[in-house]
Amino acid sequence: MTAMARSFSRLTLGGKILFTLGPILFLLTIGLVLLIAIAGKPIVDFLATNIWLVRFVVAATAVLLMSVPTAFLIIYMEMKIIALMNLRIGPDRVGPFGSLMSVIHGLKVLAKEDFSPTGADRLVFTLAPVAVFMSTIMALLVLPFAPGLFGADMNIGLLYLFAVSGLSVVGLLMAGWSSFNKYSLLGGLRSAAQVISYEIPLILSVVGLLLLAGTMSLNQIVVKQGGWFWNWYVFQQPLGALIFFIAATAEANRTPFDLTEADSEIVAGFATEYSGMRFGFFFFAEYVNVFVVSGLIVTLFFGGWNAPFPWPWPITLNIDPGSLGLGLLFAILIVPPLLILALAAPFYLGRSSMPWWQALIIGFVLFNLLVIVAITGWAFVSWNWVAGLMVFLGKSYLFVFTFVWMRGTLPRVRIDQLMGFAWKWLLPASLLNLFVTALALVVVNK
Amino acid sequence: MSLVPGLGIAKGMALTLKKFFEPKATIKYPEVRLDVPPKFRGRLQLLYDEYGTLKCETCFQCAQACPIECIDMGGVDTKGRYHIHWGAPETYGERRDESALRRSGRPVPNQAYEHFDPIHPDALMAILERFDFDPKNMLHILESTQAEYGHLPVAALKLISQKTGAWYAMIYGAASYYRHLRLEPPSAEPLAAATADARAGRETTFLASFDAALFGGTAPGASHGTAIAGAESPGTAPGAGPARA
Repeated sequence: MTAMARSFSRLTLGGKILFTLGPILFLLTIGLVLLIAIAGKPIVDFLATNIWLVRFVVAATAVLLMSVPTAFLIIYMEMKIIALMNLRIGPDRVGPFGSLMSVIHGLKVLAKEDFSPTGADRLVFTLAPVAVFMSTIMALLVLPFAPGLFGADMNIGLLYLFAVSGLSVVGLLMAGWSSFNKYSLLGGLRSAAQVISYEIPLILSVVGLLLLAGTMSLNQIVVKQGGWFWNWYVFQQPLGALIFFIAATAEANRTPFDLTEADSEIVAGFATEYSGMRFGFFFFAEYVNVFVVSGLIVTLFFGGWNAPFPWPWPITLNIDPGSLGLGLLFAILIVPPLLILALAAPFYLGRSSMPWWQALIIGFVLFNLLVIVAITGWAFVSWNWVAGLMVFLGKSYLFVFTFVWMRGTLPRVRIDQLMGFAWKWLLPASLLNLFVTALALVVVNK
Repeated sequence: MSLVPGLGIAKGMALTLKKFFEPKATIKYPEVRLDVPPKFRGRLQLLYDEYGTLKCETCFQCAQACPIECIDMGGVDTKGRYHIHWGAPETYGERRDESALRRSGRPVPNQAYEHFDPIHPDALMAILERFDFDPKNMLHILESTQAEYGHLPVAALKLISQKTGAWYAMIYGAASYYRHLRLEPPSAEPLAAATADARAGRETTFLASFDAALFGGTAPGASHGTAIAGAESPGTAPGAGPARA
């Protein structure tokens, strides 16, 4: 035993990881092979009859995996865009243009002490960030990213979405209450008051849209906005879109309504006692929530994955590389080096100070970029889900940019202004919107 | 509150968007280094040479060149403006005396921390009036003052500065530049004269060896070599002549 421990301790870090993970992976592979050999047929039959289960597991995994780079990207956008608006440069040390800065942030949060205060309700304290994060992730499940690319096409999709995103209030209250700190409790209650107040105009502003669309399925709502961009619901429901945007800003705890954790004023509201990755989960949830809210605005009011004009979706390119026969093999061998040389040549010939190897590296990078662009373009025109995904992500990040832009511009409102605005202005306005829409529908249908 | 609700918000958003696209003034220092003007010398400070002695020769060129007169040797500001004390006053005085002595062989009084002897100003005022209080006639004024008082007292220089409007630093520079002007009574003269003679001798020998090194041999007879030597001797004569006399 001691000899084994000693020899293990002499390994380098990579060796330790290899010697730990290698046997585990080996055993898992053996087990999987045995499982398939022995019980493969019944399992496959079971999964084939219950295909929804497979879809659910795949969707949940995909959404969980997607949330991490999304949050990283939005954190980076926030740092960089606000810096540029403040006439600063912002992060520029880690990665190209500082784009890996948010990864460093994530690692920092991971490496911090996971502290819980004396007297805290440990179980609730631990579960609170999970509840907040889970509500965000569950909202992401029904968002239609592209035609055919969504977790679940529920016929009550919108209702489900509001229900699960309302669950985050429970997480906030849990965090505030279990911290054993009256300021955290106050912060939690304040956050709950804000989120619940703004949920009412948020939902009421969509009811007019629901009357128009006649369905709660997000996928169907997007399909109904197809064609030219004037079919988007923002042109039929401008007031509703505005109210939804404002209420969604408050719902996502963004400036000017970010009183739940106003970084520059109060310590952190409900998250005062949190540190390490538990705090990181709140942080993560907040930024994924920004994406969810942006995607929701795009889905409901800005045509979702529809391009602004009738897109001739699937274009079949008559490319059959197999017809080249043996020539294909030679092409694969010869074309890339030739292209690299061709791309490197102008740099080598044009700048006498550049050594040949630098020109070659530039040519190689340019060649790779060219290939990536070509493949993406080919996928874009060939598969409508790729095009739809790009359109949806583009629109969504436009709204993410708008949220960050607002944070770079607007000052924070006071708590009484916040509540007064929700109850005195947004609620009557959303009711008016609902009334006018219903009246118009009745008049038109008559 | 404007007429259109939300107009202020739109204005603010437009402003931040404009700033977003503006070029940033930040210079990433260790990688990017700004080109400074060639005469830029950074912070004002006195430097020491490799032997630990002060490099300052109290030549007053810095004080004369400073456009806002913030440099003033000895911390005396003739016009009541900014000035810089280079170090603690007592050490400054010592440094200044030491370096000035090293340079000229004459003791230089510290005007700031030593009282200077008063003079009777009537004669000086007459001289100044004769030269119309014009700083362009400074050399004549100084020569006349030395002829009147025997040397150039500090009080006289102060008065000249006050009446003509010239900087004290410039007057002192002029007075200390010309060897026939003296800042001390003639009792201290033998020492200075001996120093000046020694220096003149050294100069002559150096020039001779320099010529030899330049034109080779002792008497090359080259026409331009003698021409330069001929042009050299009248140039040195006015400076060295009176001091030797």
